[in-house]
Amino acid sequence: MVASKQKFYIFILISCLVGYIWLLFSFYHTNKSHNDFEVCLIKHVTNIPCPSCGSTRSVLSIFQGRVLEAFFINPIGLILALTIVITPVWAIVDLFIKAESLFLFYKKAEVFFRRKSVAIPAVILILSNWIWNIYKEI
Amino acid sequence: MEAQKVDMFIMTNAKFFESHHIGIIRDKLIAMDESRWIFVSTIQFVDPTTSIIVSILAGSFGIDRFIIGDTGLGIAKLLTCGGIGIWTIIDWFLIMGATREKNMEKLQRVLY
Repeated sequence: MVASKQKFYIFILISCLVGYIWLLFSFYHTNKSHNDFEVCLIKHVTNIPCPSCGSTRSVLSIFQGRVLEAFFINPIGLILALTIVITPVWAIVDLFIKAESLFLFYKKAEVFFRRKSVAIPAVILILSNWIWNIYKEI
Repeated sequence: MEAQKVDMFIMTNAKFFESHHIGIIRDKLIAMDESRWIFVSTIQFVDPTTSIIVSILAGSFGIDRFIIGDTGLGIAKLLTCGGIGIWTIIDWFLIMGATREKNMEKLQRVLY
């Protein structure tokens, strides 16, 4: 899917755009009706929250300046907020100066996360976040 | 390499590749040196059927992407709740093709 550079940049830009549209949609939706609009398949099927449930709320509270609250909703929101702010800018700059630094960074990050010394702690972190999510009944 | 050996390889491994790849694979294998046969015959390919089952059961966690070796996309899928649920559903249809493409990449690394 991301074998070629061009496809990678298109994919990054489209997914960031979808992310912003989703954020806007859920921002206005929660303001109007106070009902949570959930798309998580795991939560709908099993009634148990998934590791990243609540990250939309978390990102929204970061953008409203409540970082600590965001951390307590779901720490993954912090990573996502950083990604959604940085990557589109990086991708567009790359496209303008005809560089490929984001693509190279992605490739390097992939190799980095495949290392056992990184992958195992990451899995443990995600699992503990999941347990915390279930405990919080997010 | 012998055509018989190559055809045997194609017959047993055809399900791992896209149909339009098969012709190229056959030509490349026939042109390949006999000494590299051991590398080609020992590559571990991912079965597209396995990946579709994993995609249906654990697609929201991005496990299907991790299995075929797309670690970056797997992490993205895991952290975004399966791409707000939409990507999970799209991947039910894309993952078999993506698996075959990845298998082709694996083979290409040995062939070239």
